[in-house]
Amino acid sequence: MASYITRKILSLIPMTLILSFMIYLGMDLMPGDAVDYLIPPDALSTMSQEQLEQMRESLGLNEPLVVRYVKWLGGLFHGNFGYSLQSGVPVSTLMKDYLPATLELTIAALLISSILGILLGVISAIRRGGALDQILSVFGMIGVAIPQFLLGLICIDIFALHMNVLPVGGRMAYQGQGFFQRLQYLIMPALVLGFSMTAGVMRYARSSMLDSMGKDYMKTARAKGIPEWRVNLVHGLRAALTPVVVLIGFRLPMLIGGAVVVEEVFQWPGIGTLFVKAVRSQNTPVVMMIGFFSVLLVLISSILVDILTAALDPRVKLS
Amino acid sequence: MRGNKFMGLLCAATMAASLFTGVGTLGADATESVTAVTGDAQSLGTPLADVRVRQALAYAIDMDTIVDTLFDGKATRATSFTSPGEWLNTDIPVYDYNPDKAKDLLSEANWDPNYTLDVVYYYDDQQTVDLMTIIQQYWSDVGVKSQFRKLEGDLAAQLWVPPTDMVNGPSEVKWDLAYAAVAALTESEFYNRFASTASNNSTVPKQDGLDELIEASNSTMDKDEQIAAFKKIQQVVAENVLAMPLYHQVCFIYTSSDLDMKGNPVGNDQFSYEKNILDWNINRDDHTLYTNGGPQEFFWYPMVNPGYMLNTELLFDKLIDADESLNPTDGMLAESYEVSDDNKTITFHLRDGLKWQDDEPLTGDDVKFTIELMLKTPGTNAVASEAMSCITGAQDYKDGKTDDLAGVTVDGNDVTVNFDKVSANALQVFSQWPILPEHCLKDADPNTLQQNEFWQHPIGSGPFMVDEVVLNNYCTLKRWDGYWKKGTGNIETIYEFASGENDSNLVKNASAGKIDYAWSKSTDDAKAIEALDNMKVEQANIRYTRCFYINQFPHEPNIK
Repeated sequence: MASYITRKILSLIPMTLILSFMIYLGMDLMPGDAVDYLIPPDALSTMSQEQLEQMRESLGLNEPLVVRYVKWLGGLFHGNFGYSLQSGVPVSTLMKDYLPATLELTIAALLISSILGILLGVISAIRRGGALDQILSVFGMIGVAIPQFLLGLICIDIFALHMNVLPVGGRMAYQGQGFFQRLQYLIMPALVLGFSMTAGVMRYARSSMLDSMGKDYMKTARAKGIPEWRVNLVHGLRAALTPVVVLIGFRLPMLIGGAVVVEEVFQWPGIGTLFVKAVRSQNTPVVMMIGFFSVLLVLISSILVDILTAALDPRVKLS
Repeated sequence: MRGNKFMGLLCAATMAASLFTGVGTLGADATESVTAVTGDAQSLGTPLADVRVRQALAYAIDMDTIVDTLFDGKATRATSFTSPGEWLNTDIPVYDYNPDKAKDLLSEANWDPNYTLDVVYYYDDQQTVDLMTIIQQYWSDVGVKSQFRKLEGDLAAQLWVPPTDMVNGPSEVKWDLAYAAVAALTESEFYNRFASTASNNSTVPKQDGLDELIEASNSTMDKDEQIAAFKKIQQVVAENVLAMPLYHQVCFIYTSSDLDMKGNPVGNDQFSYEKNILDWNINRDDHTLYTNGGPQEFFWYPMVNPGYMLNTELLFDKLIDADESLNPTDGMLAESYEVSDDNKTITFHLRDGLKWQDDEPLTGDDVKFTIELMLKTPGTNAVASEAMSCITGAQDYKDGKTDDLAGVTVDGNDVTVNFDKVSANALQVFSQWPILPEHCLKDADPNTLQQNEFWQHPIGSGPFMVDEVVLNNYCTLKRWDGYWKKGTGNIETIYEFASGENDSNLVKNASAGKIDYAWSKSTDDAKAIEALDNMKVEQANIRYTRCFYINQFPHEPNIK
């Protein structure tokens, strides 16, 4: 297993380089550049081409693509992630400011969706065909079908505007508030994001559980007189978890950029909205850094999923 | 050959426009007007060089109905770039919806029904798309085909590059019409672009007499003289449909029932004006006023747009104050100021004991430093940079020939600004652009001023100072005890939700009782907030005009 992991980690290097260059290339192929977004269109009409060129020169946008990429990469190796072309803030500072907010939200949503999804999926499978199964299936369908922004707005309308029990948005009222003081801000966005993710886990868990319930080892366990709850939870669930873990594992990259809509609806100051804004404004250093972390997370998730699958399923051998 | 033909078809606008089109009554200044092109629209290098085609396109659009329906009456139909009020010439030709007249004009001009107009726009909001679709239909009804496309990327290069030859062209841009907006501080921003020397005139060939009219409008600081000059320009632009103004947006100001503005009027919130916020009262126990416009990545950078966000207005004082219509009024940092008889010298007398919010003294050197910085910063707004460029020695300073801007001298509290030529908008500029602290920005590179860390937590000289900042979340401003003026109001803190130019959360926050003062130009926001019991919506006329620029230079059809 150790050699497998080493090989996988080494393979990350060329893959990360290739993917990061592709992102850089993609940004370069987009029409216009950062200067076109630094100046609002209405003001742009009053500026001369010389003024705009001067700004491009100052921001280093006139250099060839490869030179700019190599410079960015060189900076990365020296721990310099570059500066936002919009604000001049070091990208590392932006990450430090924005990433905790996104992680707080997405980890909460991932936990909610994983626990709730597995629990409801297993119950649904055990009560297959019954009223509870039907209700949970409908619940799952709604979760898949309803857009996050709509659910978010409905929740805001009910809980913030009418019942007035939760804040309408934001992450905190004042700086220095602890996690538990800020919890009221987290509840709605985490539940909305979690709910939309729960349905997928639940459906996976249900079908996987149904699959394992029909297996011979389950019948053997029952024949040995093991109580039904133990058969289901210990023998059935363990085997059923493998595809669910794969699904959850592949959702790890979402920790960085998967909450854009929810962040927008709930004015959550996370990295998702920063990323969207950076792409629109062609803020390449910011896009590259977020993209780089996302790429890294996808590749690492893939290794983690392999390891977890091997750990959960004795038939899988890493070699 | 084409150029000769083009030139040969030039004739006196006044007579020709009247004869061919019968539009409006030409005023007493018609003889000073420009020449227009008449004849066969297809032979001019572009059919849009024919004034009858341009007039027909204007006649074909029912803007009154569009304003009533698409904008729910929350905009004003434009007959000129100039908004209704004392600056508007009410005698100019008005192209009321008349499809029959449009068809007649097109027929007279031998309009080729197979020609397809290439129309570009750069806004991505749904309202723009709807408007473009409606206008396409109106034109189709009079037999004009058009295709609309959204521009992406380097807009300046695609839209505003003038031809080398401003008489004969050819055009440096490919399109026929461009839908755009002008958000203006002064009238000159609407009309300077029609001069043959303008660096952004990509559409209008040199017109006889127009350059002189524009020059005249820029050569006086006297408001009445300016109004008279701009009225003449409006006449020329309207008679010849040099561009097609469509509608004026208004500014909607939203206030909560918890806020008492003590009778202070609302005005053009795209820029700064005296709100007397220190006198306002808020009915909240914590004396906090809620608004939007908090920094997302940085505090709004004032060189391009000095008063767009409330925080810029409250953090930084200007030399001169302005009223709600943006007319310069009393001194602000300057206790008083004088303009010389020839309008070429302005002397500001700064208040005694001025200081920055970090307790450093604010002196005449800061004023000079700010003017120098504005001259060297590429992104400085055109009106401001034009005014600054008129200062004696400005060109040498910009070219790096000297480190000292000769036209600005500091003597104790007196700052004297000498101009080589009259800058019509100098007082407006000094009433809008803030004075910046030299001790914080002296090492800043003007080319990357926006990226300077100063804008993360700026230090100003205004009535409120930055307290807490959580970027992209909120910031708080607190009342600054060191401000030169004391008010009677009770607002101690201003809580700003982070937002950009368009705040998608404005209505939500207002519904939750978390907006006490805000503004926007969005009719959707206005409609939604009007429906809230705790909010009041007021309107203010602003210099903001949506229009079509019409490419009258010869060019190959872009759509074949």
